[in-house]
Amino acid sequence: MKPLNTFLLGIAFLLPMAAQQPAAAPAPREEKKDAKADAKPDAKPDAKVDVKSPAAPAPESPVPSSESWLTGSIDLGYRWNTGVGGSMDTYRSIINLGSGPKLLGADFTIADPQHRFFDQIHVRAYGWGGEPYSTFHLDAKKAKLYDFRADYRDIAYFNVLPSYADPLLSRGIVLDEQSFDTRRRFTSFALDLLPGGRIIPYFAFDRDSNSGRGATTFVSDSNEYPVPNTLRDSTNLYRGGVRLEFRRFHATLEEGGTTFKDDQRVFQTSGINFGNTTSTISGQRLDLTNLLAAYGIRGNSTYTKALFTASPTSWLDFYGQFLYSEPQTDVHFQQTDAGNLFLQSQFVFYTSQQYLLSSSAKLPHTSASAGAEIRPMRRVRIIESWLTDRLHNSSGAGSTQILAGSGTSQQLTALLASTLATNYNQNEIDLYFDATSKLMLRGGYRYVWGDGNQTILPAAELSSSVQGNFSRNVGLGGLTFRPSQKISLTAEAEAAAGDGAYFRTSLYNYQKVRAQARYQATNSLSLSGDFSVLTNQNPLAGTKYDFSSYQESLSLVWAPGGGKSWDFQGSYSRYDLKSDISYLVPQDLTQQVDHYRERAHTVTGLFDLNAPHIWGRAPKFTAGGSFFISSGSRPTNYFQPLARLSVPINKHVSWFSEWRYYGYGEALYLYEGFRSHLVTTGLRFMR
Amino acid sequence: MPRGRWKRWVKPMRSIEAVRLLLLLLGCALVNGQSAPAPNPPAGYAGSEACAICHEDIAKAFASTPHNTVDTNKKRGWEGRACEACHGAAQKHTESASAEDVRNPGKLAATATDKICMSCHLNEPTHIGRLQSSHMKDQVACTTCHKVHADGGKGLVVRGAAAINSLCAGCHTNAWAQFQKPFHHKLPEGAMSCVDCHNPHGSIRPRSTNAFAANEPGCFSCHGDKRGPFTFEHAPVRFESCSTCHEPHGSANPRMLAQQEVRFVCLTCHANLPTVKTGALGVVPPSFHDLRSPRFQNCTVCHQKIHGSHVDRNLLK
Repeated sequence: MKPLNTFLLGIAFLLPMAAQQPAAAPAPREEKKDAKADAKPDAKPDAKVDVKSPAAPAPESPVPSSESWLTGSIDLGYRWNTGVGGSMDTYRSIINLGSGPKLLGADFTIADPQHRFFDQIHVRAYGWGGEPYSTFHLDAKKAKLYDFRADYRDIAYFNVLPSYADPLLSRGIVLDEQSFDTRRRFTSFALDLLPGGRIIPYFAFDRDSNSGRGATTFVSDSNEYPVPNTLRDSTNLYRGGVRLEFRRFHATLEEGGTTFKDDQRVFQTSGINFGNTTSTISGQRLDLTNLLAAYGIRGNSTYTKALFTASPTSWLDFYGQFLYSEPQTDVHFQQTDAGNLFLQSQFVFYTSQQYLLSSSAKLPHTSASAGAEIRPMRRVRIIESWLTDRLHNSSGAGSTQILAGSGTSQQLTALLASTLATNYNQNEIDLYFDATSKLMLRGGYRYVWGDGNQTILPAAELSSSVQGNFSRNVGLGGLTFRPSQKISLTAEAEAAAGDGAYFRTSLYNYQKVRAQARYQATNSLSLSGDFSVLTNQNPLAGTKYDFSSYQESLSLVWAPGGGKSWDFQGSYSRYDLKSDISYLVPQDLTQQVDHYRERAHTVTGLFDLNAPHIWGRAPKFTAGGSFFISSGSRPTNYFQPLARLSVPINKHVSWFSEWRYYGYGEALYLYEGFRSHLVTTGLRFMR
Repeated sequence: MPRGRWKRWVKPMRSIEAVRLLLLLLGCALVNGQSAPAPNPPAGYAGSEACAICHEDIAKAFASTPHNTVDTNKKRGWEGRACEACHGAAQKHTESASAEDVRNPGKLAATATDKICMSCHLNEPTHIGRLQSSHMKDQVACTTCHKVHADGGKGLVVRGAAAINSLCAGCHTNAWAQFQKPFHHKLPEGAMSCVDCHNPHGSIRPRSTNAFAANEPGCFSCHGDKRGPFTFEHAPVRFESCSTCHEPHGSANPRMLAQQEVRFVCLTCHANLPTVKTGALGVVPPSFHDLRSPRFQNCTVCHQKIHGSHVDRNLLK
């Protein structure tokens, strides 16, 4: 993918350079505008003053767009990481920012005044130069001809946290046996032809790929061995369709398909690996001396999408969609391993094993929904909707296992079949009533039901066939109240009574409330609040699930004088989660209760100060950050303060410098804490 | 100045003025010849040109937005009157210059605002999930997010991850607070935006989440290796999606899990005796899983293919 990165960076730099050709002719728009102005010489001069008076809403005031063919900015800089105190692995798992020269950001628009090949091209690129999150986006469009979008992201995906999976910690070995150091790359191209027309064909291609290495375990009977692995998978998605957009109805027909491949490898080429357990079986200690396991997974799918909306009369709207996909995979897995290994089912030791498996799976998936909005009276709307989603997986596998031991060899074969099916259905009716022009009330009823089952044959020691079903009656209500332009309140509530659930932690008898309020106290100060609560109870014997989460947030934006001198925006959020559920301890089947608690406080704030002119410069100072602290089952604190200074050098260049601190700590896992200072300085070029 | 002398000066000036007037008329004729004359607006309407006289900046910015097609495309029925397509007939406003005499969709009730927008945009694929979206249910008007004239027209559709996230966080402060937890999808870093996972116009999936390949959870757009289909599925992934075990916005727990340790995530479901029918899926693990041993405190050390396995029925490889 390196060439692609270079190519995209090249585009990011070359586009503005290429666009530095002088415009050959003035914009036709200007001529037209001038002509219009000339044509109305007797326009009332006072009107302009009046209409731009406070009667016009402040946020709608547009920024006059310059007539330049190139507008935007590019930030180039250098970052120093002063070093990471504490766990470097945790720092990389959460932050992962490093030192070096960076293209911190580029965001510019190129306009072709002659509209030859394009009207406008927008380019955005952030985080290039060894950054963990690099993005590039390009929009190019020409009215009535095409609309093209390209997107590329390269994201470092690193996760090494010993507290997550380290069975060897008690022996002094710090290792995450389920860790990875990979990069995920996403590429996307989409082309719409004849945008704005009635018939719009479109095509798109998306690719998601992942490659890198990590650590995992090789699980053999009675022991598991931490081993390295390599990861490489990719999914390509191709799609194309046509949109038919007319005044009274619309239809979209789309066909698409995917291809998928996954070539993960797990290996150990040298040394003796004693695994996670030191215990012996019949006086023998188990070990692994050699391993190579390779997954050859290939998949593909096709799908069909049909969407439909219609508004046949002024009081009726319809919509409907039908979606069908059928992904399938074929797998060829092979594994060879050697060492002193043990097969528990037959109580035999063996020194080498060959394991071959072929399998295939198919998952037809059908979804459909339909609904209507009926407006029988001016103040009343009725919305009826129906939804179904059903998927049925059927798969089979055949395996051959050859075990070799001290002069003996044994071959085992197995055939397995597996199915999984789930059907989900939902029917809902809502009634909306505009009580006044400022108050809307709604109420509704939703019925949800479904069933699912999973079977693996032949049966093993575990339950090989399970099935479940559920149904829920849900009452819905809500209101929107806007007594003035300065105040708004939205609230919604759901209450459900369940009959069955797939899982013990599924929604059963639940209540959900959410409210949001906004208040524009003055022209410069606005406040908003967000409140949500969810409680859920599963009263069935042996479960006794009791869950509740409360979250409240308050935020404010304060910008006296339109933020000319300073402004502040900040928020505070409190989160309180309680979960109690009984479970069985596997080794003795005693019943215990799992208590999970999380009480978290989050504060974010950003203060901007536009300092007075000093030596003809107007520096801007920003300070703030994000602060998170929690207590409960995993007490954690995570601080990210920052300060930034920006000083304009001239009309087109400004210098900036930024300091950030990252601090992370866990009360129960002190060895995973870290702290780090990052200092970045650079130049912003603007036009 | 003596009268005769004044006439002597005026006559040549008049002829100069006449020449200038002629040139002006000629210029106007040429200009008119270059652009087709705008149709006369119906009674009560002023036409976009009249609006542009006072709202020059807005008109200039508007010309570069997709809505400009309303002004230029005859088929839409608003040729030369794009402003009034949303703001209503504005002849009276042009005469009084009073804001009271013109409609401002940004100040109307959400239903009325949406009605204006939907008069053109209703029959589009974007709105296929509109009636089921929480934005529609909570009467969030189109103009709450789509500021038609703000920022020189760029506010019509906010682009760029940071700008999108900022817009959403303006209302969804609770959700944004979750992204400040240490383990989160990379939205604060600008690598992702809310619309990568959610369709603000509504979708067929719960919580307005996007779909991948027609009807599969949008999570698979990025986590393609979890998509399957697997020979041996883990039922929660299919039955109740990823949020059964993960907090999709952010978590204080590694891997964005719903509990502090993996074993509790698993054991809260895997707690049913195979011999007792409780109606819930998930059977208690066999007794050799001794939770007192570190070996069994993280189930995914062995059951590493927890999202589904192509090879092993117990999700071991």
